[in-house]
Amino acid sequence: MSASHRILDDVRRTQRAMRLLGASGQLGYGIPTPAFNAGLARQPDLIGCDMGSIDIGPTYLGKGEMATSPVATRRDLRKVLLGARQVDVPLVIGSAGSAGAAPHLEATLAMIRDIARAEELHFRLAVIRADMPRALLKQAVREGRMTGMDGMAALTEQDIDDASHIVGQMGMGPFRRALAEGVDVIVAGRACDTAIFAALPTMLDFPPGICGHMAKIIECASLCCVPGGRDTILATLDPDGFELESMNPTRRATPTSVAAHSLYEQADPFSVAEPEGRVDLRDAHYTALDDRRTRVAGARWVPSTDPTIKLEGAACIGERAVLLAGAADPRFIARHTEILAAVTEVVRELVCEDQPQDYTLRFRVYGVDGVRGVVPDGEPTPGEAFIMGECIAPTRERAAEVVRTTKQYLLHHGYPGRLSTAGNLAFPFTPPEVSLGPAYRFNVYHLMRTPDPDGLFPLEIETL
Amino acid sequence: MLLSDLAQVIRSKNAGPRRLTLDIMFASDADYQRVVQSPALSREAIGRLYRIAPEDVAVIPYPLGRAIKITLPRDTAGDPGDRDVYGAQQHAPLLGIEI
Repeated sequence: MSASHRILDDVRRTQRAMRLLGASGQLGYGIPTPAFNAGLARQPDLIGCDMGSIDIGPTYLGKGEMATSPVATRRDLRKVLLGARQVDVPLVIGSAGSAGAAPHLEATLAMIRDIARAEELHFRLAVIRADMPRALLKQAVREGRMTGMDGMAALTEQDIDDASHIVGQMGMGPFRRALAEGVDVIVAGRACDTAIFAALPTMLDFPPGICGHMAKIIECASLCCVPGGRDTILATLDPDGFELESMNPTRRATPTSVAAHSLYEQADPFSVAEPEGRVDLRDAHYTALDDRRTRVAGARWVPSTDPTIKLEGAACIGERAVLLAGAADPRFIARHTEILAAVTEVVRELVCEDQPQDYTLRFRVYGVDGVRGVVPDGEPTPGEAFIMGECIAPTRERAAEVVRTTKQYLLHHGYPGRLSTAGNLAFPFTPPEVSLGPAYRFNVYHLMRTPDPDGLFPLEIETL
Repeated sequence: MLLSDLAQVIRSKNAGPRRLTLDIMFASDADYQRVVQSPALSREAIGRLYRIAPEDVAVIPYPLGRAIKITLPRDTAGDPGDRDVYGAQQHAPLLGIEI
């Protein structure tokens, strides 16, 4: 019998509380073993791991690469696979390979198959894809079913062609379909982190508001504790609420720390939006059970009348090369704005002698305004600054040409009052110009209205 | 008194690639009440600090977490010219607010 059928049958028969283990909020950055093993000893009903996020920027999605290192990712996958098979409960992994598009999913699956072979594990594996068919997206554009998220410009069919990968964020439905089929391990492409944990208990009629709130907290492992951290967390769920306990005894889930977690990376602490509806946290309440366990109740589910899927896509915008250099001359630093503008113009005249300006060149001056973009009034000129020049051009060669020319003319630029006539820059190493490969931007971050959101995420099952 | 002397946590992060969310958290209810009632954290004041129109600023008191959340629009994370892809260092202008 598969792990998912075994748990579904057992909880249906006994009507007992469920135990869900949040093993990792960022699989691939290390899962502390003592807390994970302590969680296994509590006989969980499900082990969940989130692997991805949009926070890491557009390049991983666009390029089809993982943000985590292959060695660390494989180590974490091995740990959770062995653990889940040892206690024979479903292992659910969402947003495979950081961004959850086909290459990320394939890389994750290759590791899982390899680990299964090496460890002689045999199980039923569900694979849920999240890549969106282009023709279907274009039809949605033509039918006016796309809405930009947070002020994103209207989506065009050209944007859909330009994106190298476009994923949709699946909700609970596709996970439920896999669990109902009878599987041991689910690996999903881009997914709502909450769906990883909320799909199974909502199949057993636990209230979706309570399940969604629980899922939103435990998908970040022990981040809701004081001190917060990445150790495995256990949620014990009943029809009226859930109890939280970190599997690291030094981390305490207190009413204030758990309530404050609703703020984390959320625009609104009272509402968690999902494809099928939203979790309303206005009546949520938090009660200490002891000094390191908190009980949570009161979240309500507000179903959506108009289901939507959030889309994420990234398009290549050229090749990026950067120049890395320091400066310690106060006269140079004080005049850096006019110096950089003058050098930009010199470079343009040189590299555009026989071709148009087909690149962008930007500078960030760290120590001055590199992070903030503006200098508050009255802030003194720093004693040192770090200058990063960034070029994005159609080809790697063109980007390199621009930053190498910039390096030479910024090094030797003459300005009024200059004393250091042998050079304006300190290079920490040479070459100080680095080609970083293709650059991407998010060109799709939109909601698509669709009558059948679950149907967009095909399920495949294989037996290992 | 400076906000950075009253708060236990002052942090920023993206809430999706098009929004920045700032959390100010307090160790005591007294500190929370003092700041939440202060005009220094009005939409207008935050808008001036971040050079954003006040109507684009949301200030959300969150008493259960002894916290105040501020949510602002941002240029799309990772676009060319971005200075903070995760948005994790955009809290700096809050540190010097006088309460």
